[in-house]
Parts: sequence; C-alpha cells; structure tokens
Amino acid sequence: MTIDTASVAAGVRDGMRSSDPRLSKFNPLPRILTMDDFNQGAHGWVELGGNYDGRGSLESLDHHFRDFRPPQLSNANFFDVGTHGGMTGTYSLKLATRQIPGHTATSIRRLTMSGRGLLQIEAYLAWKVEANLSGGEEANRYGDITWDANSHPSEAQFGAFTVATDLCSEGIRYHNVMRFQNTDADGHLIQKWMYPVVAEPTPHERFEGKHDYGTYADFTAPNPDDWRYLSDDRQEACYNEVPTKINWHYLRFVIDTRTRSNVELQFNSDVYDLRDVPVPPYDEKYESLENLLNFYFSVRTLGPHRNFLFLDSVVISTDW
Amino acid sequence: MRQSQSAVIERGVELEKVLETEPFEAAWAGEARWFVQFLRPAPGSTVEIRAQISPDGINWIDLESVSPLESEAVGFVSLPVERFGHWLRLRIEQTSGSGSPQLRIHLELKE
Repeated sequence: MTIDTASVAAGVRDGMRSSDPRLSKFNPLPRILTMDDFNQGAHGWVELGGNYDGRGSLESLDHHFRDFRPPQLSNANFFDVGTHGGMTGTYSLKLATRQIPGHTATSIRRLTMSGRGLLQIEAYLAWKVEANLSGGEEANRYGDITWDANSHPSEAQFGAFTVATDLCSEGIRYHNVMRFQNTDADGHLIQKWMYPVVAEPTPHERFEGKHDYGTYADFTAPNPDDWRYLSDDRQEACYNEVPTKINWHYLRFVIDTRTRSNVELQFNSDVYDLRDVPVPPYDEKYESLENLLNFYFSVRTLGPHRNFLFLDSVVISTDW
Repeated sequence: MRQSQSAVIERGVELEKVLETEPFEAAWAGEARWFVQFLRPAPGSTVEIRAQISPDGINWIDLESVSPLESEAVGFVSLPVERFGHWLRLRIEQTSGSGSPQLRIHLELKE
C-alpha cells in the first residue's frame, strides 16, 4: 500500500485550520504568509506614502500621493448604537477618506516573494459612509436613492473600494487590480467590479515628465476610459439600510506570479474567473523592487462624504 | 509589549484661519501626544491649538483637562492628552497675524 503523503499533509493541514476559529473562516493556499487580526494592531498595514526626494521635501511628492490617510484601529463606534465592534473581537482596520470628491484613502502591506506561483489575499470587510446628522428634507435624497426606511441615501454616497497588488519580478512590475464601483460621481448606483487596462502612473514617470496629476486624481488609473467592467451583472451586497450597521463580506482574490496574471475573484458566494482579465505591465524595467510583493486596499469617495472601508481580518497565502 | 501607532494627520496643510483635523479613532489607546510642526512659520501670528473629543466622530467638544496651547506659529509644539474616550482631533485657529503657516501634524497613540 502506498501512502499519498501530499494528500495526507493537505488533509492534516485542512483539519488543523478548520479547528482554529480564527482560520476556519478563511480558505488559504497551503502557505500562510500573513494573518492579520486587527485586535492585535495594524500588522504592517500603513498609509501608502509617495516617493520623496533626498531632502524629504513635500514638494517632491506627486500631488495625488500626498494624502492617503493613516489607517485607524477602529471599534466601529457610531452615534446611534455605540460600539459595533469587529467580526471577531472589538477592532478592525478602518480606511477613511476626507469629505472631498475624489479623495482616496489607501493602506498597503509590504512583503517580498520567496517563490513563484499562486498568491491569494482574503479579507472580511465592510464599506460605509459617515452618518449625517444635519440638514433638511434634502438629506433624505442622494443620487438614485430616496430614503424609504429600506434604502438609505448614504448608500449612494459611497464611491468605490479597491484591492490590488504591486508586484515585480525580473524587473517587470505589474498590478493586479479589482475595484467594487458602487456609484458614479452623481450618486447613480453601479455596483459592479471593474479593472484598469493600464498600469498605475508612477512617481518615476512624473519625474520623467510623463504626467503630473492633481491632488484628487484616481491614482490607480486616472482616466475613467481606462477602466472596464468585469461583468454587466450588478454585484448584489449587504450594505444594510443605514450607515451604522456593519455586515462583514468575504473577499478572495487569486493571482499567479509565475505568469503575472489574474486567476479568480470571490465575493461572498459569487466567483469570477479572471484568467482573461489583463494585467498590464510597465514597459520600463524597475530597479530596487526585485520580488516586490505588496497588497493595498483603497477607498475612494466621489462626493463630499467621508467613505470608510473596514477590514476585520486579512490573510495572504501562497502555494510556494 | 504595548501597542502603539503614529499617524501623520496632516503632511503640509495650509492653515487658513481654522483647521479641524480629520476624526481619528483612538479607543484602544490610553495616552496620546500631538505634535504640530510649522513647516512654514508665520512670525508675528498667534495660533491656538486645542484637543477635542467626541462620542461618535461627528459631534465635538474641547477636552476639558487640557488647556489650549498658544504658539507664535514658529518651530514645533507638542500637546499630551489622556482620558480622551474614543475619538481625537485638533482644532487649530490663527487668532492673530496675517501670514498663512504650513503645518505637519503627528498623532502618537499608545496603550
């Protein structure tokens, strides 16, 4: 009798993980690189910073890279119910925009690759808008939504959240990007996944005089024409009626660093095949970034409303 | 080991009379310290800096235990705060003078 040691090892691993309540809600690849429970701090998630010059001068930063906001360890504290808490424990990581159209808050986690193959990020997350406690009857309407004690205008005030990579191997740098576009700038509901067909403009390109974007440009891909819908189907979700009820959603994004390609996106029970979704690399080779393995989450408001992305927990895993 | 976080609340904001910093959640922290650095000073001005607290991140009042800090809008000042509840922000007002200082603001939090 021969023993399939690989399948026995996988079975033992699955059994151990499914008996661990912190991990059983995830579906990681064989090697867990990071397990971020924000009850124990920010785990290296930090504001995306720009590339400053040898004197650290503010002026040397790209304008749209100057204000990505520090992440907050949040107990999800609201005016109407007090502390909402996390999916597990009290704290989650909150990314919060300013109340300025186009403003984007971005947090990044910085690693390097010790192999090639499948790379996956999983998260339990929720998106919200700052509650409004003032105004007149006009506060009951925004974009497509008029308050009816089921739909709430704040849902139309949330722009988008994005999960993405910044990867580099053999000098070839690329980004895998998935964005949940909730509305357009007028508050019309979109609620679809999108991806860009161009690489993110870099500080090095600005240094070379190729671009110079304004403060509230979309840093991932500034031209709206460079974005495509993943599907024409609306992505249904559970915003849950008001801006102070948090229901945690599951997200899983898989890529392949061997082929520098997208593989799959899962959002709750919906699974999208991403193998035909392009990952445009930069034409130019990049120095100083060999084996770069970064993930970022961002949240972007399109109106004068603070938009929030809450991350309860995040797991990054690989098959190498 | 105590948890800690340092947040750059403003990186180079121009003070135009009054600045209220973005709401920042600090429920987990037992102590905090603000730093306000005048990247571009406004000599001859007076700037008043006060710590504010909130139960919800929307409604704000002064933190009663800390007196407002007065600065001449040059150099670097610091303001320690504790027993602040769950939210923190700074309210900074230029009460005299005409130049517009540029500020860098850090918030340091510790369990």
